[in-house]
Amino acid sequence: MPSQPPLPPLLTPYLSSQPESSLTLVSSILGATSNWLVLRFLHASLSASSNSNASFGLEESHNGSKKKVVLVSFLRSWEFWRAEAKRLGLDLARLAGQKQFAFVDGLSELFCAPQAETAATIAPPNAGSPARTTLPLRPQPGAVPGRGPSSVAPVPNNSYAARSQSELGIAKKLHFSGRGIGALDALERDIALVIQQQRSTMDDSDELLLIIDQPDFLLAATGPVMGIGATEMAEWLSALQQNVHATIVTLAADSPLIHNASTSGNQMAAPVESEHAAFAISLAHRARSVMQLRTLETGAARDVSGVLRISRGGGADDSLDERELLYYIQRDGGVTVFGRGES
Amino acid sequence: MSFRKRNIGLSVGVDRAAVPNAPAQPAPESNPGIRPSPDDGRPTTSTGTPSLDNLLAGHAGLPMGKTLLIEENGTTDFAGALLRYYAAEGVVQEQKVHVVGVPEQWGRSLPGLIGTAESLNDKRSDKRKDEKMKIAWRYERLGEFGAGIAGSRDAPAAASPGEQDGKQQVAFCHAFDLTKRLAHPSITNMTFTPLMPSRGSPFTAVLNRLQTAIESDSPSVVHRIVIPSLLNPTMYPPDACQPEYVLQFLHGLKAVMSAYTSRVTAMITLPLSLFPRSSGLVRWMELLSDGVIELCPFPHSSDNLATSGAATSSEEPPQGMLKTHRLPVLHERGGGSDRNVGLDWAFILSRRRFEIKPFSLPPDEGDKEAQEASAPGGMPKKSDLEF
Repeated sequence: MPSQPPLPPLLTPYLSSQPESSLTLVSSILGATSNWLVLRFLHASLSASSNSNASFGLEESHNGSKKKVVLVSFLRSWEFWRAEAKRLGLDLARLAGQKQFAFVDGLSELFCAPQAETAATIAPPNAGSPARTTLPLRPQPGAVPGRGPSSVAPVPNNSYAARSQSELGIAKKLHFSGRGIGALDALERDIALVIQQQRSTMDDSDELLLIIDQPDFLLAATGPVMGIGATEMAEWLSALQQNVHATIVTLAADSPLIHNASTSGNQMAAPVESEHAAFAISLAHRARSVMQLRTLETGAARDVSGVLRISRGGGADDSLDERELLYYIQRDGGVTVFGRGES
Repeated sequence: MSFRKRNIGLSVGVDRAAVPNAPAQPAPESNPGIRPSPDDGRPTTSTGTPSLDNLLAGHAGLPMGKTLLIEENGTTDFAGALLRYYAAEGVVQEQKVHVVGVPEQWGRSLPGLIGTAESLNDKRSDKRKDEKMKIAWRYERLGEFGAGIAGSRDAPAAASPGEQDGKQQVAFCHAFDLTKRLAHPSITNMTFTPLMPSRGSPFTAVLNRLQTAIESDSPSVVHRIVIPSLLNPTMYPPDACQPEYVLQFLHGLKAVMSAYTSRVTAMITLPLSLFPRSSGLVRWMELLSDGVIELCPFPHSSDNLATSGAATSSEEPPQGMLKTHRLPVLHERGGGSDRNVGLDWAFILSRRRFEIKPFSLPPDEGDKEAQEASAPGGMPKKSDLEF
């Protein structure tokens, strides 16, 4: 199968431009994850802007405007995103140093903050420089100037120092504490802070893209017992949306999570199912476009990884073409996207 | 000779793809229990079951920093056997094994070591040689999975069994006997983390203990986390299966995995009869795992079908079907392109091995009878072939 450029041509119109205040929903299932598509969104936004000064490429319409991205990931580590982006030719650590990209880590300390670090994360980070809880062993180029006064971190013990190199580029680690709306508000403040840091170095024409990777996990792992339901999550998300130009959200859309809530069988849907379904459906109604990833219904195939269906969400305009495409992910992470019947 | 050549190729692979694990690589590399994946060079460790290693998306082992969830239908304990192999392999490789939720008796029931996986393979193929017609002799070396990369690197062809017993220490994967008990000096290295009754999440204490144990250890020590029968009500308190407890625990486990990428692996088993896959909770548990494998043992009533499920009567009948729902690394990247994807797998648990192989429908019943009738000496009895 011929390899395609990092941005598959068929997908380029969907990836490269998001209208003002739009929401794009990417849904995935167990056997068809959305990470590759998120990486393509990153590539579309970040690599174009890094070239736009020098070349007159695809991005001529946005003359001189830059794109910035804030990625909030609840299920995947910084290591993963950095390594996979590198395969596409994106150096996320460098981009983070240049303030084009910020990573908010919702994985490593979301529910269990190590005691040694709580002090550091409470301290407000200086504007314009990411709060780093550890001292980097080897400063990345570009990351040094803003770093001076913000090192309010406690003396890092050895294990943290050893890990700090890989953590360079994490703008913020999220912590969930307490319950209910208060806990969500704290998370929102943390993310908004990172967004403000990015905004502080932006021109008016610049666009800031917010990608939230699986916020539905937050809902599943807390739930109504802890005072968080689909409504609260949807409000949380729309509050974040107000800070940015466009938002991309990935969700799990496996059938137990979506359909159990609506089947009128004799058994009641568990709260984790009904809340997830309500959250996913409310987002789909608000979204401009919904990109569904799923596996082939006819079973696994050797040259097809899955199906990508792009459809209009509830908030769509007529400019969006609905399509159904097949995609294939090679061993090296390269992606081929093609229509049914093409190769 | 050929072994050396392969080695060179692999280390080149490490350099090219050394992005994520580069800083941590030197320490575990000297460790025989860890070898680079033939696919992209990331460090992998053995699950203790060679055919499971081969199933894992071309990495020929479980990649470090990944969790494997093994689900089982019914009341059998095939998943428990896989888990014991995994724990025993960790003990033999002198990795630190952390067992969650079960008393120490569990550790005493680990299967006994009987050599390396290769030596068992050799013996087995010797035994087979006498029986088999030599139609496809040139494919014999290719291992169970035909053209699989993993299969072909299982046995360095030249080594004799005796030699291999001598270098037992450097083997990647070992063979175990379920009827024997493991006696190994480092078996005392296993730690058992009981579930403490507590008011909040029963998992918080477990996770903290795991985290401190891994963090306080030197970076060269490799850890394995073994969680038998997660949420089983005989071991776990009733509120453990509330999503906010168990999902937060699995998320925390994932965080540990990502913090110590090159030093930890984990294997979890889950009884599906109590927690069906059609429930949202189980789906979230699957989504939080890097690999998801489902075992569907054949019910006893279908013993007849199972016997005829073997392609030839000299093969053992499969005991159940195995489904791969998600494979580590492959699906994180988007999934799909593995050569093993889309095949039906069957598993056979015998005393000495847990074997996973492609499931094939039996030849037509009538046809088989005709064959048996025409065979002059009759086929050897099943008992002759068992070891």
